[in-house]
Amino acid sequence: MRLNDFIRVAIGILISFLFYTIFSRVSPSFLLLFNVFSLVVFYFAVKKGEIFGSCLGTVCGLFQDYFFSGVYGVAGLSKTISGFLAGYLSKKIDVQTPLRNFFFLIILLSFELILWALLFSFIVPESISTGGGLIFFQPVATAVLGTFAHFLLKKFKKDKY
Amino acid sequence: MPLFLKERKSLTILIALIFFHFLLISMQVPLGEKASIFEKTVFSVFSPVRHGILSFFRSIGNVWNNYFYLRNVQGQNEQMKEQIFYLQQENNLLRNALQKFRSEREIEENLLEMHESILPSRVIGLDPSNFYKSVIINRGTLDGIKKNMVVLDKNGDLVGRIVDAISLKEARVQMITDNESGISVFAEGNRIRGILVGDGEGQCLMRYVLATTTPEEISEGEDVITSGYDRIYPSGIRVGRIVSITTDTSLHKHIVVIPYFDFRYLDQIAVIMKDPQEFFKD
Repeated sequence: MRLNDFIRVAIGILISFLFYTIFSRVSPSFLLLFNVFSLVVFYFAVKKGEIFGSCLGTVCGLFQDYFFSGVYGVAGLSKTISGFLAGYLSKKIDVQTPLRNFFFLIILLSFELILWALLFSFIVPESISTGGGLIFFQPVATAVLGTFAHFLLKKFKKDKY
Repeated sequence: MPLFLKERKSLTILIALIFFHFLLISMQVPLGEKASIFEKTVFSVFSPVRHGILSFFRSIGNVWNNYFYLRNVQGQNEQMKEQIFYLQQENNLLRNALQKFRSEREIEENLLEMHESILPSRVIGLDPSNFYKSVIINRGTLDGIKKNMVVLDKNGDLVGRIVDAISLKEARVQMITDNESGISVFAEGNRIRGILVGDGEGQCLMRYVLATTTPEEISEGEDVITSGYDRIYPSGIRVGRIVSITTDTSLHKHIVVIPYFDFRYLDQIAVIMKDPQEFFKD
């Protein structure tokens, strides 16, 4: 892994950290709607492969657990597995076009949400707050944000070179 | 490297990471009120970063407030002057009423003591997994925060209690709307006692009020205040208002209470810096 990759990952994590810090104070509902840490994991998993995806999933998952002040490891575990899957599947199928990218994200985000909910209800003896059903829109809303960000990044790179 | 070896390596790493997570989770379960050493370390490392980011954005917000809203100051000033006038009148009336029972010196001492024991704090994080469960405040062990200290909102209504000082500058407050919270309360009218528990969705339930209690004894719209019998919350703090009372086949009434504190304005809060046991010395 090159130094450049490290910087990119650090920037990705930093942006997500900022997003979570600000919105956990201003409007926590946003955190139920957009899973920004997952976007960072999936973006780098697709680029760098499943090992990188699972390791970054561990790091980002622990960050997410920090913000949710729950049990450390719940989001970590679900992100590790989904990060691995993102890296593995992206080698088998093409996910570069916006539409494919969108559906790929929806499937992975739904899988991650289900896994997280299962682990959470298994470990924590209380019901998950759905934020008035907002959490069910998380895969779609995050996928829209992710596809848009992916499109912008691609455009930025094209313009640069 | 051959593909099967590469895939095997990936799987080994994945299994190792899963094992790490299981180990991490098992270190924290069963969940108690107290934060684990791991959790405390993480909070100690990241809380300065979080504080920095929030302070930065708060200062931007302050510039906005100080500059762009300056034109409203005149009007606000007039309004506040009027409000102070009424509050002073009210204060005098209450002092006079109190003097019937205590000496002036005693009252002054009590007021000063009360003023000194209040620690203004800010909410720096909610629990996104359940907004009505707990909040994180910007005061910790460094400020003398201890478990079970009472937390009020800016109007003096009950918010909850400190469950754990997570780091030097952070503490977790269990709100009264948490379904694991329990407070001894009574309805103000006829002092009917009950236990107030959160429903986890922003409201509270007043439990163990017998179904035989008549509407004359307890009714909708009554204030609910702390009784002090739980030996955590001192008596007389305003908690909420009864919004519905229903009776079914069970032994007890189903009483819904709406807390007085407002989640939307839960920005500044006050921690009562008295050890809860001090309230119950006598």
